[in-house]
Amino acid sequence: MMEFLSLTALEREAIGLSLWISGWALVGSLPLGILAAWVLARRNFVGKTLLDGSVHLPLVLPPVVTGYMLLLLFGRKGILGQPLYAWFGINFSFNWKGAALASAVVAFPLLVRAVRLSIEGVDQGLEAAARTLGAGPVRVFFTVTLPLAVPGVLTGMILSFARSLSEFGATITFVSNIPGETRTLPLALYTLTQVADGETGALRICLISVFLAIVAIAGSEVLGRRMASRVRG
Amino acid sequence: MRAFTHKERQEVKRRRGIGMICAIASALVVSSAPVWHHAMANEGDSVTVFAAASLTGALTQISALFRQKGMGKVVNSYASSSTLAKQIEKGAPAHVFISADQDWMNYLAERKLVDTTTRFDLVGNRLVLIAPADSPATVRISPGFELARLLGDSRLATGDPDHVPAGKYAKAALEKLGVWSQVAGRLARASDVRGALALVERGEAPLGIVYGTDAAAAKKVKIVAEFPSDTYPRVVYPAALVSGRESATARGFVEFLKGPEARDIFLSLGFSVE
Repeated sequence: MMEFLSLTALEREAIGLSLWISGWALVGSLPLGILAAWVLARRNFVGKTLLDGSVHLPLVLPPVVTGYMLLLLFGRKGILGQPLYAWFGINFSFNWKGAALASAVVAFPLLVRAVRLSIEGVDQGLEAAARTLGAGPVRVFFTVTLPLAVPGVLTGMILSFARSLSEFGATITFVSNIPGETRTLPLALYTLTQVADGETGALRICLISVFLAIVAIAGSEVLGRRMASRVRG
Repeated sequence: MRAFTHKERQEVKRRRGIGMICAIASALVVSSAPVWHHAMANEGDSVTVFAAASLTGALTQISALFRQKGMGKVVNSYASSSTLAKQIEKGAPAHVFISADQDWMNYLAERKLVDTTTRFDLVGNRLVLIAPADSPATVRISPGFELARLLGDSRLATGDPDHVPAGKYAKAALEKLGVWSQVAGRLARASDVRGALALVERGEAPLGIVYGTDAAAAKKVKIVAEFPSDTYPRVVYPAALVSGRESATARGFVEFLKGPEARDIFLSLGFSVE
């Protein structure tokens, strides 16, 4: 029984890597996600539909397509990957940074959707009131809009974090399946379904994934409820 | 007040969007149904072949010829032998299995999932080190050669040595040459050998280990060195009929694979034939 409960080195590595990659994906995409959500919720401009569409693209595209596009853009010989490496030494190919980039892109629409809905729900009268009291647009955003939109921001963060944890297609296409570097839980599971006698290991990773998902959902429920009551006062 | 009507308008738009998505989805399902039905109805005179990814070009040509001669229709599914063996184990409807190593054929034979009386070795292959066509790399493969240094800060592309035959052969060769420990942590593991080939083709990896026939099939890569044949197990492709799936067309296709026309195609693509 104890043996069944203790994690193997491979599982620990995959769990750690999954959390690390998803965490960085979230940290990296959060500011941009909030900005995009605010622009979509509050601004009208030519090309808004185009922006809206491209933000949502990873949600509807097969992740393999997203991964392949990332490879063409950010690969070692990619349109952006080559100058990034030559000028700044930034390299996304075959490493965890690439995996985090793939996760961030795929999870981005979920983040933006949730934050946007929340910002749209903020009473514009309050924002206008703050303006009449002399606050600039930036101050209005950080002292009125964002605090009131916190429940949505939180939901978006948890949704996109969970999506990052489950990311497979774009990751394996973009950064391959490298133990200790890009082999997250779903990729470790995939590997175990391919090797001879991997069934038990695969099942264990299934259980770990289910467990993590339940913890994430329960956590978001609790946090969401607490935040909602705080916002209401 | 204005904000409210704006929101309402957005809601209408959103609903319209959802309606549109539903309409498109149902149209897709309805329109694909006849295709699906067609595929099911033709089961009888078609043969489904699960073949190692490295056979992609050869089997596509052979299947086209088989069909041209009115002998039957061939549906080929290419992937790593490991993936295919696992799929057959789970009941995938293959008639013929062609593996890139004996291990995965043995795996199915032990589970009585292939008819071992029909098993035979189809063709052979060799293992090579490749680089992008414009690479300046020159390599001499010998015990202890400096593979890690040649990689620089990048990775060596090959099949995942945990299950993909090409990767297993590569690991065996590098172990024999005493350089495995240098590069074990420096692999870009592909889910089949063609995946590894693609990584080198695109210049993502500066070096890769694939079969000679893969290298010949890709214009954008070149062979920088060949592994001495005594450093890895002989690369042979065993083929067999899948148990309980024998049909006249399947048997016909296996016989065709052994025939002179198939042999010519294999030879022209660089496979070795006994």
